[in-house]
Amino acid sequence: MVGVAYDCLANPLGAVRSTFDKAIASGSDPASFDGRDWGAVDLFRNFLYDDGGLSQVPILNSANIRWVQPNTLVRFRGMIQDMLGNEFYVGAYKDGSVWRTNKFTDAPQFPVDSTPDMRLWERRMLYCTPVPGQNSWAESSNAVMYASMESGTQQKEKRPRVDAEATDNMDYDVSDNGIEGSPSTKKLKENGHSTQQSITEGTSSSMIMAPDVNSGSLPCLIKIYDCLESDLKLNEVFEFVGVFTFDSEFKEDKDESDDFTNGFSEDVLVHLPPNKVPRLHCFIHRKLAVHDFLPCSPTNEPKPNLVKEIRESLLRHLTAVLGNDGIAANFMLLHLLSMVYSRGGTVAVGKLSLNLTCLSRESAPVFGTQLGLALKNLLPFTQCISLTVDYLNTASLAPRKDYETSRLITGALQLAEGSHVIFDETRLEAGILNSVGVENARLLKTLIELQKVEYDFKFYKLDMPADIQMLVLSEGKSNILPADVVLPFHPSSVASAEVTAEALEAWRWYLATLRSLPHSIDSELQKVIENDLVAARQEDRTLGTQDFSRLLTMGRLMSMSFGETSLSLEHWQMVKELERLRRERLK
Amino acid sequence: MPPEIKRYFEVYVRASSSGKSKPYAIREVKASHIGQLVRISGIVTRCSDVKPLMRVAVYTCEECGFEIYQEVTARVFMPLFECPSGRCLTNRTKGNLILQLRASKFLKFQEAKIQELAEDVPKGHIPRTMTVHFRGELTRKVAPGDVVKLSGIFLPIPYTGFRAMRAGLVADTYLEAMSITHTKKKYEDYELIGDEEEQVARLAEDGNIYEKLARSLAPEIYGHEDIKKALLLLLVGAPHRKLKDGMKIRGDLHICLMGDPGVAKSQLLKHIINVAPRGVYTTGKGSSGVGLTAAVQKDPVTNEMVLADMGICAIDEFDKMDELDRTTIHEVMEQQTVSIAKAGITTSLNARTAVLATTNPAWGRYDLRRTPAENIDLPPALLSRFDLLWLILDQADMDSDLEMARHVVYVHQNKESPALGFTPLEPSVIRAYISAVRRLSPSVPQELEDYITSSYSSIRQEEAKSNAPHSYTTVRTLAQHSSNIGLARLRHSETVTQSDVDEALRLMHMSKFSLYSDDRQKSGLDPIGDIYSFLRDESETTGKQDVIYAHALNLISRKGYSEAQLKQCLEEYANINVWQINPLSFDIRFIDAI
Repeated sequence: MVGVAYDCLANPLGAVRSTFDKAIASGSDPASFDGRDWGAVDLFRNFLYDDGGLSQVPILNSANIRWVQPNTLVRFRGMIQDMLGNEFYVGAYKDGSVWRTNKFTDAPQFPVDSTPDMRLWERRMLYCTPVPGQNSWAESSNAVMYASMESGTQQKEKRPRVDAEATDNMDYDVSDNGIEGSPSTKKLKENGHSTQQSITEGTSSSMIMAPDVNSGSLPCLIKIYDCLESDLKLNEVFEFVGVFTFDSEFKEDKDESDDFTNGFSEDVLVHLPPNKVPRLHCFIHRKLAVHDFLPCSPTNEPKPNLVKEIRESLLRHLTAVLGNDGIAANFMLLHLLSMVYSRGGTVAVGKLSLNLTCLSRESAPVFGTQLGLALKNLLPFTQCISLTVDYLNTASLAPRKDYETSRLITGALQLAEGSHVIFDETRLEAGILNSVGVENARLLKTLIELQKVEYDFKFYKLDMPADIQMLVLSEGKSNILPADVVLPFHPSSVASAEVTAEALEAWRWYLATLRSLPHSIDSELQKVIENDLVAARQEDRTLGTQDFSRLLTMGRLMSMSFGETSLSLEHWQMVKELERLRRERLK
Repeated sequence: MPPEIKRYFEVYVRASSSGKSKPYAIREVKASHIGQLVRISGIVTRCSDVKPLMRVAVYTCEECGFEIYQEVTARVFMPLFECPSGRCLTNRTKGNLILQLRASKFLKFQEAKIQELAEDVPKGHIPRTMTVHFRGELTRKVAPGDVVKLSGIFLPIPYTGFRAMRAGLVADTYLEAMSITHTKKKYEDYELIGDEEEQVARLAEDGNIYEKLARSLAPEIYGHEDIKKALLLLLVGAPHRKLKDGMKIRGDLHICLMGDPGVAKSQLLKHIINVAPRGVYTTGKGSSGVGLTAAVQKDPVTNEMVLADMGICAIDEFDKMDELDRTTIHEVMEQQTVSIAKAGITTSLNARTAVLATTNPAWGRYDLRRTPAENIDLPPALLSRFDLLWLILDQADMDSDLEMARHVVYVHQNKESPALGFTPLEPSVIRAYISAVRRLSPSVPQELEDYITSSYSSIRQEEAKSNAPHSYTTVRTLAQHSSNIGLARLRHSETVTQSDVDEALRLMHMSKFSLYSDDRQKSGLDPIGDIYSFLRDESETTGKQDVIYAHALNLISRKGYSEAQLKQCLEEYANINVWQINPLSFDIRFIDAI
């Protein structure tokens, strides 16, 4: 194969066409290309991964969308929020005597006459949004990356401002989802507004009309070609690389044909006009894990002593945040490392939700906000939901399908894997739940017990698996959210924790990497554990499978927190000791 | 004049094998199916009004008076304005055409959206939708919420006009409906698809089907075999009888499970609902009597009980239910109807449903020192409506604890549940089998009638003899009869045999035993001694020295003893050399000569 005839970055469609022509020239029948690739994707895979082109591809966000040229190669990172079904398009057709293709594009390059030689192919459409609750540090890294690679244009001096705006917007978004709590977020809110306005004015002269970025989040319609359905699932976070199309000149066609169809058979895309929602024709998609959002990834293997060091410092930090409550910090560490790693029948194994009780009305704001901020800095996706009777009665927690628009209306519980949610129950007062409230309470309960969210499709409900770390702050033991670990919180001092940037980075890396470590229990220790569990149950009849499961999860997380892959007796003893201390507090 | 205008029939193409092969899920219909006849299943989510669709437009010319016909094949057409008749053409008059609505031919036309069924959606995906066009007689056949099977032609509609330019080369697709079949969720209407018929026939041959089915109910829940058998009977039921004088005899069994929290009661319930083709699951806390039965509104809404007509209504945490609401359930359980007398409407709706309820003990955990009646926080009148009551206790023994600990460790270590040791039947197969056997209506042969009546009266006498203050009110011929028939149905047989009667009695005893076993111990009877004397009697009456273990178990179970007690008895008496136990089969051989 000779060198690349087209610049993959600036003219990806040219590259697609050249490979198509080459494939046709080598005698392939275009009919056989349905549902498979003729070499275009391989070309891009080579370019992106083998030749290191990936870092040159800009990541699409609300800030740079105005400058990215249509029909160029871009990246988009987001969560699959909705699946819009398949789209049928004329994949290949004969223009005179030459075969042309329309793959990876919205509009044909050459005019199409209705020739008999047309091949209808299909592509899947996914509606993606930025990950809910994504924190600014996980976002800003991308913007920096973009800024460093962008080929020189006249807007160069503007960019830092826009980056700032992007991050502000992110913050604004987060605070909007969470409680209208701390004054700092309110300030950010105002900031976000003012910068945004100035930006809009500044770019009004620009040719390309800005998309609707007021929400601060940029959705994107991804068109996926030839891939297995099971590869992409709802609520998973992906990075898509593909051709960007964005039709700013699009006008709503309110022509008469709509009267005939009575506004009924219209496709879902009417609600997603191309001038609002950019399209991306995807070549390659890659599932992102939490550690892909780290600004810089020290990809080296976890060294035992280094990991231990980080663990110690993180534990110290958490202790400080939690007002010198060492036990709470220990449980918090385990909680932050937890993730669902298997689902056997009706149980989700590996979850460890935490309920800090004994938070009074006075202490809750102090520690709640401090904790919220600390977690925001540690984890890429965090949310904070304040549970009040009013909120429960009005909020739509579960996503539901709107059949008028054929869209999945998102709910507060549609979250990406590995998200962290704080439920603040301290402001919950006595009141009456209406039917929505009862339903919402039930949803929260199934989420914390089974890590599942029921999506409402009106005619039936579908269970969607979730993997969400849930932290509950409450005065007494929470009834709405029965957490795995209930721990009375005993702070002794209020200290503001100063942290350095390096330490933060190390902690982020630690939390993101260690949770995916493999884990095993050797057979000897299994015997010990079994005997311990039986003995515990003989003593206390109220222990059930859930308690056993929780202890084993804690054992796993404990050994993981030391960067080890198999449970040792020492760590098991630590778990038992922690559990004993917890039980003492409960008395 | 086009032939279309005089055509008074409609042509539909039906797939010949319809009803046998499995219809496609919507996501399985691909681009390669365009132009083909496909069969799909789905749920109707939206329906448009029925509108007229022009097939032949008829005009008259102002100049020449000719009638002009224009056939319309698409949804959009360009009306004619100039008269194409020979006379106008030669005269070059450009006659003005007037559309004659009364002469034109219209067709009824309706659009609908259908969505994939929940079971067709892979995990982590959103159900797909498809547009369906109905014409002529097929209109007004569906309403939102209907589960339907459609066959039709999968066609693309290219965009026309301005939209085509914008949308590029994208085509919308729709299904031109050719036939509609409503899926009914009743057992009686359950259609066997594919090889299910064959599978059911094969299962019916299998002698061990009863055990196999019982084990396949909620296979991940360990043990509780007798409860599962009882639940199986609940699924199968017996036919309803309507006597000449209008009295109805219900065939459904009502079962109430009670027990300590965390013994997987709710999971059992949910699994049963999953297996039943028509079932409603609710919790006592979450539903009102109004919600459960029926409410009078302008448009009377059929609610859960009515929804579960000919199905199963599972009520979790029955004890948490409001007192007032529970009373409405009385009627459902006995008369199998829901009567409404509100707002000037008096009606009674059929609610032929089997009720499966669970309750928690009154004090959170079952208190062994108190009587069952005290522990069960339900009024006796309601309790007596249940044919079988089952108490699931969390027994405090080392072995079960170790079993549990092992299980949890295994799950954590291997990230999956331990192998079951058998392959459970798929819920769909169970459903198919049950729906197949529910069509049977087994009869009781003459010679068995005596056996049944005598066994029943002996139970009554035993009850009278026992000085327990509360009688086991639910032992009733009716329920027993239902069980007999249910068991015969399960064997895929048209007649009840003695083994069915024995098994039904055994189940009833086991259920009773789960409740009153402790009283028995308290009353000073020695179960071990009792079992020995039973076995001795059996050996003497048959005149053989051997007692098969399974037979012995059956025997003592009927008298209300547990397997553990039997084993204990076997062991104790083997030690004093009264009998020998076969180490493999546990069969008993008396040592002393007769």
